[in-house]
Amino acid sequence: MNGLDLAGLPVVKPMLRSRWPQLLVTVLALGGFVLAIVAGLSGTPVGNRNFSIVVVWIAWWALLILVAVPLLGRGWCSVCPIPAPGEWLQRGAVLGPRRARLGLGRRWPRRLRNIWLQNAAFLLVVLFAAVVLTQPLVTGLLLLSLVLLAGSMSLVFERRAFCRYMCPVGGFIGLYSQLAPLELRVKDTAICAAHRVKTCYTGNADGYGCPWQVFPAGLRKNTNCGLCMECVRTCPYDNIAINLRSFGADLHRPGERRLDEAYKAFIMLGSALVYAAVMLGPWGWLKSVAYAVGGWHWFVYAVAFLVGVLVLLPTAFYLAVRLGHALARSESEPQRSFLHLAYALVPLGLSAWIAFSLGFVFANLSYVWPAVSDPMGWGWNLVGTAGIPWTPYVSRVVPLLQVTVLLAGLTWSVRVAREIAAQVVVGRSTTRAAGLVLPLAGFMFVITILFLWLLV
Amino acid sequence: MNAERAARWLVLASIVGVPLAVAFARWKGPNLHDARVIEIHGQMPGAGGWSPSALRVAVGETLQVRLTSDDVVHGFAIGRLGWPAIDVNPGQVTETSLTFDQPGRYVFYCTRWCGPEHWRMRGTIDVIGSLTDPAEADYPLYMTLDLDLDAAHPATVVPAERPKAERGTSRGPMLGADYLTPEFYRSQSPADAWLSLRSDPALEDLQDMAIWDLVAWIWDRNTTPEALREGERLYRVNCAACHGEGGEGDGVMAPALKSDSLTDFGHATVSPAAFNDPSSMLGASPALLHGKVIRGGMGTGMPYWGPIFSEDQAWAVVDYLWTFQLDRDS
Amino acid sequence: MANSLTGRAKLLLGLAVVLVALMPIPVRQAGSAERTFRVEAGNYAYSPSVLSVDPGDRVTIELVATDVVHGLHIEGYDLSVSADPGQTARLSFVADRSGSFRFRCSVTCGPVHPFMTGKLNVGPNWLLWRTVGLALLAVVVGIGAIKR
Repeated sequence: MNGLDLAGLPVVKPMLRSRWPQLLVTVLALGGFVLAIVAGLSGTPVGNRNFSIVVVWIAWWALLILVAVPLLGRGWCSVCPIPAPGEWLQRGAVLGPRRARLGLGRRWPRRLRNIWLQNAAFLLVVLFAAVVLTQPLVTGLLLLSLVLLAGSMSLVFERRAFCRYMCPVGGFIGLYSQLAPLELRVKDTAICAAHRVKTCYTGNADGYGCPWQVFPAGLRKNTNCGLCMECVRTCPYDNIAINLRSFGADLHRPGERRLDEAYKAFIMLGSALVYAAVMLGPWGWLKSVAYAVGGWHWFVYAVAFLVGVLVLLPTAFYLAVRLGHALARSESEPQRSFLHLAYALVPLGLSAWIAFSLGFVFANLSYVWPAVSDPMGWGWNLVGTAGIPWTPYVSRVVPLLQVTVLLAGLTWSVRVAREIAAQVVVGRSTTRAAGLVLPLAGFMFVITILFLWLLV
Repeated sequence: MNAERAARWLVLASIVGVPLAVAFARWKGPNLHDARVIEIHGQMPGAGGWSPSALRVAVGETLQVRLTSDDVVHGFAIGRLGWPAIDVNPGQVTETSLTFDQPGRYVFYCTRWCGPEHWRMRGTIDVIGSLTDPAEADYPLYMTLDLDLDAAHPATVVPAERPKAERGTSRGPMLGADYLTPEFYRSQSPADAWLSLRSDPALEDLQDMAIWDLVAWIWDRNTTPEALREGERLYRVNCAACHGEGGEGDGVMAPALKSDSLTDFGHATVSPAAFNDPSSMLGASPALLHGKVIRGGMGTGMPYWGPIFSEDQAWAVVDYLWTFQLDRDS
Repeated sequence: MANSLTGRAKLLLGLAVVLVALMPIPVRQAGSAERTFRVEAGNYAYSPSVLSVDPGDRVTIELVATDVVHGLHIEGYDLSVSADPGQTARLSFVADRSGSFRFRCSVTCGPVHPFMTGKLNVGPNWLLWRTVGLALLAVVVGIGAIKR
């Protein structure tokens, strides 16, 4: 299967080149999204009976983190409804393609061409998570402000500035999409080099120039490719492939590694740890503190959270890198090793999020049936499932899945650490590599144990 | 550009159509503009209680009520009518219809504890019409007897052990007729009753404890097993959260009542009464307890159950309270 | 350099993994004691929130709701009980499945309700300890694989 080009399959190719299938799924998602906003703003304030909370934070989240991200990477981004209205306005067309353009089409500021804003946006949502995840009104307002923000950014800036630089979800989807067994790449870079117009970037009558501001021939990793399929449509040489590949291929290649992404890895790992403690731990006071947004208890929690995720966790990892350097008698710059080796935390981070999500998704999945049948909590019964009582699903299997996922994540992360160590720090020396990796593996082991203790 | 137009309609359908469909369904649903269809939302009293909390309906007219809770489990019942309580579940709608055949002001109230202020979750239904069955307005016994509900009522005497009605069975039936009337029972505290019996020459030969057993026997014959069962049920559902399941005044809400957290309503509260304390319980007459139950207050935060309990229910609760002091005849 | 372990080391490690993961553990049926817990439920928390018993114990949970109606559903055992304030509810069962089981509130008790949890430990949490062992082996294999 490795290397199979899905875009080359006779059934798939017309589906991708046509704008309709993608549009239909997007519009369907948009309908659900609008219903979530309406339910959030005017439905029952009881979260587990309101479409917005149940469908967004249980059903959608489960699909995203358990299926879409691990298997498709940025697959969700290709049909995400949040930037869609803004993009349609920007393009002056829903189906397109059209050359006419609404909006100012400004270039995104150079200083902000990184994911620090996304890191901040994600942390902002996470700090308010206990309220966002439980109060329909807050979720409704959040979704509404996201779509308005995305829309206004589309009108001011060119292409999908929101998705690449602002979306709180997009940042981690991008980071973890490196693990997906799916990639969009050009088949033959020589063709691109010879292609004078680069229609994949500028657009043509068949499609738009890359909305994600990526030149496909330069793609080395999935992070910034939104799988929007425009280049599949615009490439006159049929030179774009969607390859099946081995899991995590991007991490196994030396490539462009950046501090904002490295930090994203820490933010995600730390947030999963805090979430697991707050949401699934037995400490009621912690839930109350996380929920009491605005109070000074919550303020202390927020500061502790930020310090833990942004300072303590990276510092601990940095110390492990320093220790590894000492053991490996490496002369390399520790900061540089830190930056590269932080990418080894990506598999562990995703597996931690999956394990955490398994802990509440199946327990609460049965809320979906009433929420679909009575989205507003107004006593409707649209599809006859309003009366299905809450009951946790597969609760005997979940712990087994959780430990399996965590073990896989740990094993994978240690392996990636080993490879990055060999690539950028110690070269082929085996004893030195072992010395360098030992403290890093210890760090990962401790993190894994923490998750096991919280989740299992 | 037909495809583009179709696509735009599709988008419009999802962005505008979904909210419109929701609004339309709401409008087509139960006609909330009809005065006879009422949607009542329940919330914890601190968050607003029932809304709306004041309803009006004519005698004989049917009120369609759609009940829902915006936070936790509540219950709905109408005071003094004995209709079964209806659970009001968060985010779910329960429908019921109400028809009143007597005019007057009815009180509806929450039947499931939803915090220390639970009992304040009440509303009124004014039923308009002419009285077809005029019942004479009865004053409660504590008013007729001119009892001061707010005064302390220490027992002047207390027994050495728990009085047992069973042990009074042999001598009881031989007591003077004055002791056996319901009026005697209701108006006397057990301590007063004991003093009356103690000073009765006919009972001179009895030990103090045997007199107490006779008091227990008198108390026992003024109730029935059915009343005690009903009293126990009402106590569990309405009283135990504060006064404790064992009547010790240590119910789960007691700590909240002692704190300053309930000042929102401008009432000071104190620890709930302990019914297992003989020094105060045995100094209270059934009429006094009945008055406290139906009027509440006493500067303690005690709710008033007059609009909730029927006369029989209020007396059943009082009957049950004595089981914390006196052993009934099994 | 990816996989440079010798055949013997591989075999040994494989055996260790199988042993840690699957070795049967003699179940100490020390239980059959009566264990009663008074569990207060209020403000999105159980107190005590962690209950530990031996396999085979006869467990009674007295659920005491202290603010609003709460429930308690034990995952893995699929048993539920709910209690109103002032009305202690009891749930009795024989702890015949060993392991660690989460319990959750089963009656909507406010916004944070879906995250009101506690834990029932029946005997040692072998799943946790086995996984810790496997995690350690994963690290050993990960480092050991560096040999050339």
